[in-house]
Amino acid sequence: MIIETINLTKMYGKKAGCQEICLEVGAGQIFGFLGPNGAGKSTLVKMLVGLLFPTAGTARILGRPLGDLGARQKIGFLPENFRYQDWLTGKELLEFHASLYGISGAEKKRRIPEVLGQVGLEGKERQKVGSYSKGMQQRVGLACALLPDPELILLDEPTSAMDPLGRREVREIMIELSKKGKTVFLNSHLLSEIEMICDQVAIINNGRIIASGTVKELLVNAFDVKMQVEGVTPPILEQLSKLGTNLAVEGQFISLSLGAREEIPALAEAVVKNGALLYSLEIKQNSLEDLFVDLVREGGSPCGNNSPANN
Amino acid sequence: MVTIALLTIKEVIRRRIMLVTIVLAVAFLALYGTGVHYGYKDMGGSHYAGPMQALIAPMFLSIGLYFGSFIVAFLAVMAAVGAISGEIESGIIHAVVPRPVRRSEIILGKFLGYSLMLSSFASLFFISVLLIVHYNTGLNTSVSAGTIGLFCLQPVILLAVTMFGTTFLSTLANGIGCFMLYAVGVVGGMLEQIGHFANSQFLVNTGIISSLVMPADSVYRKIVYTLLSAPDASFSSMMMGPFGSVSEPSVWMLVYTVIYIMVFLTLALMVFSKRDI
Repeated sequence: MIIETINLTKMYGKKAGCQEICLEVGAGQIFGFLGPNGAGKSTLVKMLVGLLFPTAGTARILGRPLGDLGARQKIGFLPENFRYQDWLTGKELLEFHASLYGISGAEKKRRIPEVLGQVGLEGKERQKVGSYSKGMQQRVGLACALLPDPELILLDEPTSAMDPLGRREVREIMIELSKKGKTVFLNSHLLSEIEMICDQVAIINNGRIIASGTVKELLVNAFDVKMQVEGVTPPILEQLSKLGTNLAVEGQFISLSLGAREEIPALAEAVVKNGALLYSLEIKQNSLEDLFVDLVREGGSPCGNNSPANN
Repeated sequence: MVTIALLTIKEVIRRRIMLVTIVLAVAFLALYGTGVHYGYKDMGGSHYAGPMQALIAPMFLSIGLYFGSFIVAFLAVMAAVGAISGEIESGIIHAVVPRPVRRSEIILGKFLGYSLMLSSFASLFFISVLLIVHYNTGLNTSVSAGTIGLFCLQPVILLAVTMFGTTFLSTLANGIGCFMLYAVGVVGGMLEQIGHFANSQFLVNTGIISSLVMPADSVYRKIVYTLLSAPDASFSSMMMGPFGSVSEPSVWMLVYTVIYIMVFLTLALMVFSKRDI
């Protein structure tokens, strides 16, 4: 495992930052970490990179304990609040970070133009970082993280300051890294982005993981059904409420969420057998965003398995 | 550590901290030199020219060194006051700590960088003051590498305290705290000298205690005493008033000062190594 956390916990006094986080991220994965503001996403990332010290639990990165300098040699990190020495030029900033990684002079000469090209900043390296736009600063931060050709790269909201083109480029970088067998830990609010590129996803809320698994696994049991029914009676609604959740009636239209595709025939049967007329039945596969919103709104309970916690 | 030290020096130069300091130091030295030149020259015409000139020359020197000490101490605090706290507040440190460097290397690298910068500035300032006094008054002092080293030690004391403060206090709180601490040492040093004149053991003891709290002033007193207390001196340190030193701080005071620096530096390392960022 590239990242393995066992009951990793961070408390701020009595307030929980993260509680009993158990994660496993394998090599070559793009792992998406989701959660609303203040859920504990950055707290976990900060613990993994050594900015915060866990209150309880353990973690191993690249097979070594947290804080191990040998492991850090192979880890790239782009912080959420990216700020760099604005009095340095882009090239000087990269040279500084290369020195922190212990990269030799010859290797610096080879690697710096390479990462500048990767993040689309070639030709801008002689400008002061202070003169860069926010998007360019985020790009140079990403270049710093890519310098050691890391085995694991942790990106905390890596495209928050970028335009759509920049976001696309960063996505391509992440996919490229994954193809090379590198592991990407992506902390992001951009659910569509995560849905598009992540192999595995974990959702955190109130400091606890409430769902985890592949995007496909998480969405397999997430359906919304909308029916047009004439002659709705209380017994029908009672049966429907037992089959699904979020039941809503608006005139002839009934909508509800189902936990499994296999429940659809039972739904139709409940309407027809009770003497009502079923004119239409629409099934909508939820997006990751729908699932995320549902889980967070319902304040899903913590899970230790690879499935949505509110199933 | 060397990478951090080099970046610290580069920062001092790039952010024009050194430039502003040098320009203002030159302005101070120009004003000081003018004062020494005309003060000494005009005194030559008075009735008591000989004894007065013999007294005023070392007095000029001690005043120059006193305010020089103040300037380098000020520079030490201002340069390092946000060394860690400022970078935490701005977020710059978020990209540095996760790299394969120990947190102790960050503290020691910054301390080394600032120390080199402050020592260079302090030694140039010290030599400038001595040359101004020597060329204008002909005063010969027993200058040695040791006295230059002592002058360089003063800002390093403040630097160690400031580095400790910056690991857990906000930049503003640290700045206020360090200046207040420096003021305690300065006022205590003056009270000690006044205590000698007034024969007040209480004031002398107060000065000694304040020197233990902040030993920068006692290092200054040792420099002044060493420079101006040659056996053939035609004046007494008593005549320097609060800028002089009646007695020489012992070598144990220097040992204490070195331990003081090491303790604050160690505390800085300990606090920062456990600090959540």
